[in-house]
Amino acid sequence: MNTSSLSAQPLGDSAVTISFGEVRSPQLLERVHAAARAVAAANLEFVDDVVPAYLALTVFYDPRRSTYEEVVTRALDACGRADEARGRETARRHVIPVTYDGIDLESVAASTGLSIEAIVARHSEREYTVDILGFVPGFAYLSELDTSLHLPRRAQPRPRVPAGSVAIAASQTAVYPLETPGGWHVIGTTTLAMFDPARTPPALLAPGDSVRFEPAS
Amino acid sequence: MITVTKAPPYLTVQDGGRRHSRSAGVPRGGAMDGFALRAANALVGNEDNAAALEWALGGGRLRLERDCAFCYTGGAAEARIAGNKIAPCTTTIARAGDEIVVEQITGGRFIYFAFSGGVDVPLLMGSRSTYLAGRFGGLEGRTARTGDEIRLLGAPPRTPAPGFHCAAELMPRYDSGIVHVVPGPQRHLFDDKAWRTLTSTLYRVSPSSDRTGYRLEGPTLGGAPASLASEAGCAGALQVPGDGLPIALMADAPTVGGYAKIAVVSEADLPILAQRRPGESVRFELITLEQSQRALKRRDSDLQTISQLAYRSAD
Repeated sequence: MNTSSLSAQPLGDSAVTISFGEVRSPQLLERVHAAARAVAAANLEFVDDVVPAYLALTVFYDPRRSTYEEVVTRALDACGRADEARGRETARRHVIPVTYDGIDLESVAASTGLSIEAIVARHSEREYTVDILGFVPGFAYLSELDTSLHLPRRAQPRPRVPAGSVAIAASQTAVYPLETPGGWHVIGTTTLAMFDPARTPPALLAPGDSVRFEPAS
Repeated sequence: MITVTKAPPYLTVQDGGRRHSRSAGVPRGGAMDGFALRAANALVGNEDNAAALEWALGGGRLRLERDCAFCYTGGAAEARIAGNKIAPCTTTIARAGDEIVVEQITGGRFIYFAFSGGVDVPLLMGSRSTYLAGRFGGLEGRTARTGDEIRLLGAPPRTPAPGFHCAAELMPRYDSGIVHVVPGPQRHLFDDKAWRTLTSTLYRVSPSSDRTGYRLEGPTLGGAPASLASEAGCAGALQVPGDGLPIALMADAPTVGGYAKIAVVSEADLPILAQRRPGESVRFELITLEQSQRALKRRDSDLQTISQLAYRSAD
């Protein structure tokens, strides 16, 4: 990967954020994911964490064991060895069984003008990519939803969305790993455990993985 | 073992937090005042980041079911054991059956109780810390309840002498309310006026503040875009949402967020910010990254001094 366009800047005294560009795109995100995997694979002893996001990669380090300059040099070196094509091959593929019985299915049908069968078909027919993890442990933002299913978040977020809820909002879909407040439209349920802190790795999905939803019979 | 005989409003198990957890959406977490945690561990002969009890918001009682050395650090409290006042930052010996009574926390926000051996709860993702929002770690991911029994690990080979006391000049200047910051990743999105405002006025910690973040009240910084593409944040990041009032992200803040970060609190001063109560003020002072990292190393060397003195007192 050509790293000449990357720029680094400190995030406090224990992290550096490496920017990959200004405009969100699947291609840019793929570069960030490949770079994140390369930095993690480099096993740098002073690196505490690697967090990919839409436009940037953040590397957390222990300032007792390295300097900002060394972290930037070594992280950019690792990014230089990153290979998007190989990244795609090493990313895992997941199939998540879904019972399409969500509490918002009727309202999504009303808002989109689609039948429930069409919603299920359009949600389950394509392969999604894990953009980033965040919000709560194991919560993976998946792109990209069929445009006919794009809806703004609910005006009133629910105080409780049950664990395992499969939901959509804007151009993304996700599974709620645990019961939390949430503003996405719930269209189904899965029994797969998306997050278990006692498991290795704890989160079922990792950035860059691909995911397909399969209607449970 | 420790029995919680009267749970305080807030009591959790915390240690130094997690590494390599953020890519799973789990923040580092750990003690809000990491310095106080480490000092408390040094005072009872534990390793640096052993698990201890983080206590806030009011009084409560614990009964010790075995002889052990313990101490409390961080904020100030009115506390007794077996009827005697407990001095802060002082190695104290408890006998099996003694009860620790905290009447109230009189200064600061969090106090840390460390016990020789350290608190024994399951290690999850490399840490014993309670992550309340994730509902795991510590005592089943929650605050302690009356009747909880908390296990301790075996005592370390040497414990500091009873009465060993850690000098105040080795601790962060909690009362100063001065918190140093380094420029944040979106510093360029803020004009000179915003920078002058941030670094020349007092900001008050809002009642709306917890382990995930402290909202700050004061003059607006304005000017920043309401939201950007989400990217990693960290404890101490001062993010500025649409209303222009900064929010300091704290230990349990979500791993990624979409607000501009004007500045990041120097890790050395994070304990000072963490210990501010709602209504108390902070003054932010700008320093360079090099100064910030030097300050962190000074804190480490102060902790090392505490640890060495404590260890020597054991003779």
